[in-house]
Amino acid sequence: MLALKLAFKNLMAAGLRSWLNAIVLAFAYLLIIFFNGLMDGWNAQGKKQSIGWEFGQGQVWHPEYDPYDPFSLEDAHDLFPEVSASVPVLVRQASIYPSGRMQSVLLKGIPANQNLLELPTHNLVASNTGAIPVIIGERMASNSKLKVGDQLLMRWRDKNGTFDAQDIEIVSIFSTDVQSIDLGHVWIDLERLQGLTGYTNQATYLVSSTELEEGETGGWPHHTLGALLKPLDDLIATKKISSSIMYIILLGLALLAIFDTQVLSIFKRQKEIGTYVALGMTRWEVVRLFTFEGGAISILGAIMAAVIGTPLFYYLAKSGLQLPAASTENSGITIGDVMYPVFGLGLVLGTVVIIVLTSTLVSFWPAKRISKLDPTQALKGKIQ
Amino acid sequence: MKKIIAVLVGATALWAFSLSSELTPEEIIKKVDENMVSENRVTQSSMTIKGKRKNRVLTSKSWTIGSNQSFTEYLSPAREKGTKMLKLKEELWIYSPASDRTMRISGHMMRQSVMGSDLSYEDMMEDRELLEMYTAKLLGQEEIDGRKVFSLELNAKVDDVAYPKRKSWIDAERFVPLKEELFAKSGKLLKRVTMSNVKEVQGRWYPTKMIYKDMLKDGEGTMMEIISIQFNQEIPDYIFTKAALKK
Amino acid sequence: MIKFLIKGVIRDSTRSKFPIAIVAIGVFFTIFLSAFIGGVLQDAVEVNARFTTGHVKVSTLAFAENSTQAPLDLALLGMDSIKSGLQNEYPKMMWVPRVSFGGLLDVPDENGETKGQGPCTGMAADLLNTENGELERMNINKTIVEGRAPEKRGEALVSEKFAQKMKLKPGDVVTYFGSTMYGSMCFQNFTICGTISFGQQMLDKGGLIIDISDAQQMLDMEDGSTELLGYFEGGQYLDDEAMKIAQEFNARSTDSTDEFSSVMIPLKKQNQLEGLLNTSESMSEIMVGIFVLAMSIVLWNVGLLGGLRRYKEFGVRLALGEAKGKIYRSLLVEATVIGVVGSVFGVILGLAAAIPLQIYGMDVSEMVPSSNMMMPSVYRAAVTPSTVFMGFIPGIIAMVLGQALAGYGIYKRDTARLFKELEV
Repeated sequence: MLALKLAFKNLMAAGLRSWLNAIVLAFAYLLIIFFNGLMDGWNAQGKKQSIGWEFGQGQVWHPEYDPYDPFSLEDAHDLFPEVSASVPVLVRQASIYPSGRMQSVLLKGIPANQNLLELPTHNLVASNTGAIPVIIGERMASNSKLKVGDQLLMRWRDKNGTFDAQDIEIVSIFSTDVQSIDLGHVWIDLERLQGLTGYTNQATYLVSSTELEEGETGGWPHHTLGALLKPLDDLIATKKISSSIMYIILLGLALLAIFDTQVLSIFKRQKEIGTYVALGMTRWEVVRLFTFEGGAISILGAIMAAVIGTPLFYYLAKSGLQLPAASTENSGITIGDVMYPVFGLGLVLGTVVIIVLTSTLVSFWPAKRISKLDPTQALKGKIQ
Repeated sequence: MKKIIAVLVGATALWAFSLSSELTPEEIIKKVDENMVSENRVTQSSMTIKGKRKNRVLTSKSWTIGSNQSFTEYLSPAREKGTKMLKLKEELWIYSPASDRTMRISGHMMRQSVMGSDLSYEDMMEDRELLEMYTAKLLGQEEIDGRKVFSLELNAKVDDVAYPKRKSWIDAERFVPLKEELFAKSGKLLKRVTMSNVKEVQGRWYPTKMIYKDMLKDGEGTMMEIISIQFNQEIPDYIFTKAALKK
Repeated sequence: MIKFLIKGVIRDSTRSKFPIAIVAIGVFFTIFLSAFIGGVLQDAVEVNARFTTGHVKVSTLAFAENSTQAPLDLALLGMDSIKSGLQNEYPKMMWVPRVSFGGLLDVPDENGETKGQGPCTGMAADLLNTENGELERMNINKTIVEGRAPEKRGEALVSEKFAQKMKLKPGDVVTYFGSTMYGSMCFQNFTICGTISFGQQMLDKGGLIIDISDAQQMLDMEDGSTELLGYFEGGQYLDDEAMKIAQEFNARSTDSTDEFSSVMIPLKKQNQLEGLLNTSESMSEIMVGIFVLAMSIVLWNVGLLGGLRRYKEFGVRLALGEAKGKIYRSLLVEATVIGVVGSVFGVILGLAAAIPLQIYGMDVSEMVPSSNMMMPSVYRAAVTPSTVFMGFIPGIIAMVLGQALAGYGIYKRDTARLFKELEV
């Protein structure tokens, strides 16, 4: 305990240099926490958005349905099973003709009065032009150069395979981070789509608002939320590696600064060391003292990081970080325009523990030289 | 002069009256069916597909029985030569000589465009009696390229038709369509077909040049010309087997 | 004078070895890190560059407008002459054609009839010509699960999942069925030379990678491609350069009245990458700034340490009557020498570490749970002239600054007390 107190006193006495070291460490803390927080935030946000816009708390699919196989859509529809608190979606293929070119789209029917997913489906009832009201996402709108109020032709096939075509009107354009319900998607009222195609009371998949148990899915295969979110998890895991390499280097730099300071202070304070020994401290006790001093820098750094970081991170977590749109366009991975970092307790504590441990370790390394010092020579201040 | 006009007007009115009083719309399309529909036919035709960058001409020979059995072999250009298609009801089989493979194509491909043209496979195969599929309504008489025509509106009475509504302009003398407009259920115009070069073949009148225009797409349409057509031939059964594809 | 000081520095190893080593390590860290951060932040941009956008992309005007649908009928024809023109004009860039297409992949039974079928997402690149680096650019060799990359025409890589589902193995034959650029049907047999894991669901479903010559023939696209991608030497996107090249090219080739005339678009203007690129630039500047600061603190310590070690020496020199200013100046010159030598070592070390990392990349796929993704699990550094410059800033300035601060103590020393201090 004495050693610890003494260590802090010495540290304070060293003045500016200690503070500078602490600043470097504080940066290390802040950056490590910031980047990890950003990743966690991305992950949490991606999940939240995916759940809110697309997955719900899991889905129940028609046995034939495969979102990555457009040919599976042909048969992937049926009278859907009774699943409580769920929203049915019927998926059909269709073509739209913005400016004369044919473009294939997925036509998804969802009840206009649903409020499980964040899609602004309540807009799907309003149209006074006689055209079929549809909603599309921002990316789809910009790729196909469409805006609210635009009317264009859509062609689809009914249950007999007969082509039908009619004008649709874009009644609303929604903005979502979830690309997989935006690109190439046209959303329409479920009943209307059932009417247009003749697939009355049929659906392709159901989005559930609660976690379903085995046997609650009415015979259709259950796709749990965890399984639906796996691609996102995998991506984040990859990204985390790149950031960890970055902060390993950063930490290395900070540790170099501590190491360097230790070498300096041991060199400079030989007389002091000699005095300690002369006063009856064992050499290992002196080593401990110096090690504590080094380690204490990291604690000082942590305090400093807390002073700067708490308001900063609070602000960032609150107001988010503006990011440019659509960095991973078409990859189907959810990434937001505004990222809200998440700074968990585990992350903060973990970072502190790692930094304190490593800085104590590098402080010990030069300090153990003290154990070899000849106290009398040291007392004289002789350079050895 | 006045006299001549009066006579002409009178004659036209009389002609129109005589035609409309003679035939019901059903009778008109029945006469069209007699020309257009046959038990089977063997056709050699060329298809000119106009594109923005180049026009393509494909020639092919087809054996067709009704609308459920059809066998087509492409004769030119070199790229397509030897490609054969067999349609049996909802199944479509394609043989390609380059890959020496016989592939099954799922049913919905049937309504896709043939070789990038404005025709679907169904358009090409259509050989069902109009009378069986549609109810007809006579809208009036007009003139197309100097030929008098009846204009008819046809509405589907069965479910499984490609076009639930059509407008047809039927040559009043030869009973072949000279123009057709094909509509979707919603009433949207999907395709416009104009026919010309009506020739007499085996006692029937048959248009040998047809221009298909997909009204939803940009482009200039596809021209189909019949080089030769024979009706009610003896077609050996083996032609409509998968084995024939590889031959 | 400087010669004398250098001699001193060299002979007194406490004055040279340790500080130079620290400076070198610090500079090394700074350079390596700024290169690494530059590389990592360009990551997202890189994925786009490698697979879809290139550093610049040439296509027809109409294709560029409808690029999200990758319409084959709007492909670029007369590609070879455009390519060789560009190759002559910008010999340092690599120009590679790509075709993306979609159709069906059909697996035959023993009679050559359909046994199984699936949707197919195809990519064609110039794979048989090994000089253009396409295999590496698309990370193909690393993502092959079984077999090898195509080595001759008629060979194809198919997705591992498709192969498993259809029980296919290298040597088996599959048929691609789709449309040519004019809409005719096309069929092409391919011998599977390997299976590949894309790490992207759509591609894993039915991805197909073939050589460009096969695609051109199959899709009736002679001397054509949907896109012609240009890459800078060293794999680094250079914005100013790309903008300039695109401007020059478009002034010559683009005719706004002809939708089939060619247009070049730099990476930045594609897929809304501009914002991302700008952010990553400013992010990397901030990061590097922090490192330079941290490094400066470390080196300042070194300077102080040097000053302290020689406390006695300066005492003696002062006692012998050397002017304080002179000692101080000599100290700064020494610091500069050490700073330069250390920085040079550090830069050499840093580049030695960063350049291979830029060229070969660091494969972290084993650390990733779902490994062998086509999306790079390989990290690369990005070495630019400014990277080197970054290293010199802390290396020299911080060293000199450190010595200057440390040496300031010289002025505080009182000649009268010198002998007392120097008492042995």
